[in-house]
Amino acid sequence: MLKSKVFMLKTKKGSIMKIVREHYLRDDIWCGFLACELCSHDDEKQLPVLELSPPTSSNLCPGSHYLIPDTNVLLHQIDVIEDKSVTNVIILQTVLQEVRHRSAPCYKRIKDCIDDPGKHFYVFVNEFHKDTYVERLPGESSNDRNDRAIRISVMWYGKHLALSDDSLRVVLLTDDVANREQAKQNGIHAFSMKDYVKSLGNASDLIDKLSTDENKVIDGKPLYPEHLPLSQIQEGIKNGKYMQGTFQASRENYLEAYVNIRDEEHQVFIQGHDYVNRAIQDDLVAIEMLPEDEWTCPSSWVLEDEEEKGDEEDIKEDEIVRTSTGKKSKIPSGRVVGIIKRNWRQYCGMLQKSVLKGSNRHLFVAAERRIPKIRIETRQADVLDGQRIVVVIDSWPRTSRYPQGHFVRKLGNIGDKDTENEVLLLEHDVPHSSFSGAVLKCLPSLPWIITDDDLTHRVDVRHLPICSVDPPGCTDIDDALHCIELSNGNYQVGVHIADVSHFIRPGTAIDKEAANRGTTVYLIDKRIDMVPELLSSNLCSLRSEEDRFAFTVIWEMTKDAKILSTLFHKSIIRSKAALTYAEAQLRIDDKSMKDDVTEGLRRLNSLAKILKKIRIRNGALTLASQEVRFHIDSETHDPIDVQTKELRETNSMVEEFMLLANISVAEKILDEFPDCALLRRHPAPPASNFEPLIRVAETRGFKIDVSCGKALADSLDAANIQENPYFNTMLRILTTRCMMQAVYFCSGMCAKSDFPHYGLATPIYTHFTSPIRRYSDVIVHRLLAVAISADATYPELLDKHRSQSICNNLNYRHRMAQYAGRASVVLHTQIFFKNRILDEQGYVLFVRKNALQVLIPKYGLEGTVYLMDANQQTMFTYNEEESTQTCGDVSLHMFDPVTVQISIDSTNIQHQKLCMKLIKPVIPNFSVNPCQNITEDQPPNKKLKN
Amino acid sequence: MAVVQGWKNWYPGRLGYVDFVFGLDNLRNDGRGCEDYRSLDLETDVVSNSSGSSRVRLANTDILVGVKAELGEPAADKPSEGRIEFFVDCSANAAPEFEGRGGEDLALAISNTLAQSYDNVSSLDKRKLCVIPGHQCWVLYVDILLLECGGNLFDAASVAVKAALFNTKIPNLDVTKNEKGEPSLELRDDPFDCMRVDVAAAPCLVTLNKIGYHHVVDATREEESCTLARLIMGVTADGNVVTLKTEKSGSLDPESVFEMMQTGKRVGISLNNTLSAKLKQEETMAPKKGKKAFLR
Repeated sequence: MLKSKVFMLKTKKGSIMKIVREHYLRDDIWCGFLACELCSHDDEKQLPVLELSPPTSSNLCPGSHYLIPDTNVLLHQIDVIEDKSVTNVIILQTVLQEVRHRSAPCYKRIKDCIDDPGKHFYVFVNEFHKDTYVERLPGESSNDRNDRAIRISVMWYGKHLALSDDSLRVVLLTDDVANREQAKQNGIHAFSMKDYVKSLGNASDLIDKLSTDENKVIDGKPLYPEHLPLSQIQEGIKNGKYMQGTFQASRENYLEAYVNIRDEEHQVFIQGHDYVNRAIQDDLVAIEMLPEDEWTCPSSWVLEDEEEKGDEEDIKEDEIVRTSTGKKSKIPSGRVVGIIKRNWRQYCGMLQKSVLKGSNRHLFVAAERRIPKIRIETRQADVLDGQRIVVVIDSWPRTSRYPQGHFVRKLGNIGDKDTENEVLLLEHDVPHSSFSGAVLKCLPSLPWIITDDDLTHRVDVRHLPICSVDPPGCTDIDDALHCIELSNGNYQVGVHIADVSHFIRPGTAIDKEAANRGTTVYLIDKRIDMVPELLSSNLCSLRSEEDRFAFTVIWEMTKDAKILSTLFHKSIIRSKAALTYAEAQLRIDDKSMKDDVTEGLRRLNSLAKILKKIRIRNGALTLASQEVRFHIDSETHDPIDVQTKELRETNSMVEEFMLLANISVAEKILDEFPDCALLRRHPAPPASNFEPLIRVAETRGFKIDVSCGKALADSLDAANIQENPYFNTMLRILTTRCMMQAVYFCSGMCAKSDFPHYGLATPIYTHFTSPIRRYSDVIVHRLLAVAISADATYPELLDKHRSQSICNNLNYRHRMAQYAGRASVVLHTQIFFKNRILDEQGYVLFVRKNALQVLIPKYGLEGTVYLMDANQQTMFTYNEEESTQTCGDVSLHMFDPVTVQISIDSTNIQHQKLCMKLIKPVIPNFSVNPCQNITEDQPPNKKLKN
Repeated sequence: MAVVQGWKNWYPGRLGYVDFVFGLDNLRNDGRGCEDYRSLDLETDVVSNSSGSSRVRLANTDILVGVKAELGEPAADKPSEGRIEFFVDCSANAAPEFEGRGGEDLALAISNTLAQSYDNVSSLDKRKLCVIPGHQCWVLYVDILLLECGGNLFDAASVAVKAALFNTKIPNLDVTKNEKGEPSLELRDDPFDCMRVDVAAAPCLVTLNKIGYHHVVDATREEESCTLARLIMGVTADGNVVTLKTEKSGSLDPESVFEMMQTGKRVGISLNNTLSAKLKQEETMAPKKGKKAFLR
C-alpha cells in the first residue's frame, strides 16, 4: 500500500521546500511474539525476541506483560532500561527514530540493549505496518502525532496478543500525564516510569537509577540567570550578538572558564557563578561579550569547591574572585547566555554524604576536577560511601546550586587499584573491554608457520645481525635495527618494523577494532592493547631468535651519515638479541665485545650522534618533560619507590633511527599518494603562547627568542644559571607547555604550508615505526606496501575524507591515552605517598596569588603549597608584576629552590590529596619543621575504612 | 445560439467541414454550436511535490500545470506585491512541429497572454503574496506543459492555470523581528497550516475564431487551420475583460470585433462560473483514493 509523506522544510539558504516521500506499508511485519499464529515469521532467523511468558514482579500490573516505553522514557531513563532486570520491552520504530534524532549516545545504548539476547528487546516497525501507520491530521503537531502513533501501536498490540494468549498484556510507559490520560481512555495500561519501577519488588537499585524529574519545580529563589531559548540564541548568533563555542572549565578555579569560539582561534574568558551560569565542561554554549570596561583576567586563585553549601546560601565566591582581580592585562571576557547543546556524559567519582542524618539527597564529587558537584538521590548512601560510582546529570534548574543527577552503577572501593584504573579508563574514554569473538576469529591459528609463498614475496634477511633495543619488560617489540659495513666502506643501516598489516587486513573485525582503539594505552601497572595479545606480544613482536615478518627500510650511508640510497621491502628477519637500553649501552661500552651485533650497535651509535647533531643544527627542540618509573612491589603491586627515567645514549640512538625511518617513509608515501598520505604535523605555536615563558625568563635576565624553532632552541641552550642547575630543565618544561599538540592528518585535507613538524624541525613526518601500538602506523604500512607494490590497495585507503576521519579519531584517542597515562602516574604517586611523609627538594614553578606551584624533580611531581589559611588570610604579599610572594624578609620567586614536606591529606578520607608544606626557606609561623623521612610500618595496601 | 452547457455536449460530428459549414442551425462539423465547448476533463492535485497542480483534457488537448511557490524578492516597482511567472513548455510529443525550438513562439505567446491577463489588480490580488515588503514575497512559478494538441490551447491552458492556482497551498510563515529590527522567517510545524490563493476573480482566456462570417469558440485543429483571424480575450467572472489581442494574418472590421467581444464576455462569464463550481465540488468530494490523471 502506497502512502506519501509530505512535509515542508526550510533550507539553510532560507528557501522553503516541499518534500514528498513515498511510504510503502506492509502486511508481513511480525509482532515479535513467538507463538503468534497471525503473523508470518521465521523463528530461526528472527532472534532475539520477546519471551513467551515474561517474568514479572510488578504489583501494579500483575501477570505477564510487555513494556512499551515512549521516547522521553527512553531518553531520560536509559539507565533503568539498561538494567539487566528490565527485559521484554517492545521498542517502537517511532520511538527509536525520535531517540536517534535527539541523542546519538542514547540511541547507541538502546541499540546495545536490542542486540543483547538476554534483554529480549524487540523493535516493531510500526511506521510500516498497515494497521499501525497513522497519518498526521490537520492541526496536529508532530509530537502529538507520534504520541498517537505510539498509542495506536499499543492498542494494536493489546488486541493482537489477546488473540494468541489472552493473559498477555502490554504496558505503556510514559511520563507525560496528558498522554497517560488519553491512553487510559483508549483502554491502555499506562504508567509513569517512576510508579512502575516502584511497584517492582526489591528494586531499590533501580529507584536510584531513576532520573529526577526535569520539570519538578524546586522551591526557592533562582540562583542563576535564565538561559535564553534556542531560537533567540540562533537569532543572536546569526546577527553577531552572541558567539558559540565549547566551554572549557579551569582545572584550578571552579569559577573560571574559557570558551573556545567556534571557527576562531581566540578564547573568551568567563568568570563567576552568574556568568558561568550552569555551563559544564564541554557544553556547546552561547556567550555574549562583556563591554570592555568589565573585562577581567584569571584571578591567580586556586579555588576548590570544598564544602556543601545550601541553595539558600548566597554565592559569595563571586565577589572574592572579582574584587581580587588586579589591574593586570585584561582579557576578552564574556558571559554565558544559553546552552546550545549539553555534552553531558557519565561521570566517575564518589559520594560526599550529606551531613544531615537520614537524608536521601547527597552530593557527588566527580574525579574530573572540571565537573561541578552533582546532587543525587539515593537510599543506599551507606553502601556507596567509600566506593567509586558512576553518575549522570539529569538537569540543572535555576534554583539549585548544584546540578541534579542520578546514580548509574558502582565500580568498587575507593583506593582499590583495579577500581581506580577502571575510573581512569572510563574517564578518558579508553575502550578497554576484552576483544570480541569476531575480533579473535581474525587471528591466525597456532602454530604459525612461514610458507613458501611468503618466502617468494619477502626478502630473506635472517642472516643479518639484527637486534632490538627497548625498555626493560617490553613484550611488544615493534622495531629492530642492524648496521653492517659494506665492501665500499659505506654503512648499510636497516630498520625493521613488525609487519602488523600482514595480520590485520583492511575491513576485518580486528581492523575496525584497532582503528577504533587507535593506540595502545600504557598505565603504570597495566597495558590496554590495541590488538590482541597473540599479535602484540607474540606474532608481531620481533623477539630474539624467532623468525618474524617485518617491513624493512634500508639505507646506504656514508660514515658521516649522508644517505646515499633508501630502499623499502617486506622481509623475514631473525633478531639476534632483544636488548634493553642498559644492556645495549653495556655492550657498546664493553671494549672486549667484538661480535656482529655489538659492532653494529657501535656503528649505529656513532651515526646517531651525527644525525642528532644535524637535527639540532636544523632547529629541533630538546624539550623536557618529567617521566618517572615506579618500582612495583611484586606481591602487593603497590609502588615502593619512584625515580625519574634515566636517559642513556642508546635511547637517543634508537630514537634517531626511528625518526629517520619515519621521515623517509613520509617522503615516499607523500610522493606516491599526494592526496591521501597519512602524515603527522606539529604546528608552530602562535607567538602569544610564549609570552609567559618570555616574561619569567626575563626576571632571571635571559632573553628567549621565539622567532623560529632554531632561535628558541639556541636561546634555551644559553639560559643556564650556575647555582641552579635545574633552571634550564624547568625552562624547558615551561616551553613544552607552550607547544601545540602534534596531530595526524591526511595530506589531501591540509595546505602544504602546514605540513612541517615544528618540534622535530622536519618539513614532513609520519609514524611508521610502532604499528603494534599505533593504528596510524598500520595505515602508513599499508600505504607504503601499495607504493612498493607489495600489497593491494582498497578504496577506503585512498579516500581522503575517510582518512581524515580516521586521523581525527586517532588524534582524540592519542590525546586521551596520554592523559590516562599521566593520570595513572598521579594515582601511583598518591598510593606511594599514602603512608609516607617525605621532605624533598623542589623548585617553584609558578607563583600564584594564594599558592605556589612546586615541582619535585625526584618524582617528577607537581604540587601546590597553599599560602592562605581557611579564612583566606595570608602573611604574604603578592607582587603580580614580578610574580613573587613576600613575607617579612623572605621573598619567593619563580624557579627558587625550596624544601617541602609531602604527605597525603587524609582529613577528608574520601577525597585524598597530595599535600605540600613549606620547610625551607624558613618562615616563622608558616613553615613546618622537617621530619625524619618516616615510612609508617603499616602494610601499604591497607584498605581505607570509613 | 446555444449556450455553453457544461462539459457534456459532445456531438460526434459527421459532416464534412470544407463542404458545408454552419449550414444547418449554425452547427459545426462535430455537431456543436458556435459557443459550445467540447467536453473537458479536469483534475487537481495531480503532482504531489508541487504547491498546486491540475490537468486539463479538452478533447485531444492535454495540458498539465504545476505551480511552485518559492520565496523571492518582489519587483522594485511593486515592493509590497508577490509575483507570478508563467512558463510554457511545448512537448515534442504533442505535435511534431514542436521539435527542437519549434514550439517557442507559441509557448511565448501563451505565457505572455497569461502574464498579461494576471498582471492586473482585478484578476489576482498579489498583495497577499507579500511576506516582507520590499524584501521577500512568494513567487508563483506556473509551469504549463502541453502534452497533446487538439486545438484551443489558450483557453485550455488558462482553465488549467486557474484550477492549479485554486489548488495551490502556500505554507504560512511567521515573521519575527529581532532586536535590531531585522526580520526573519519561521516555518510552522504543521504542514496543513497553509494559505490559499484567491482565484475568484482570476480570468479565463476565451479565443474567438473568425471563420467566414461566423466566430466560434473552442476551435478544433481543423477549425483553427481555417481561421483567418482570431481574438483572444481574458475574461473574469464579473465580465471584466483584462486582455485583448488579435492573432493571425486576417483583419477584422470593428463591428465584428464588437460582436465577438460580446460573445467572448458571455462565454467567459459562463466558463468562469462553471469552472469555479466544479472546482469547489471536486474539493468537497471524499479524499481521492488515488490519483487518476496518469493512471487511467
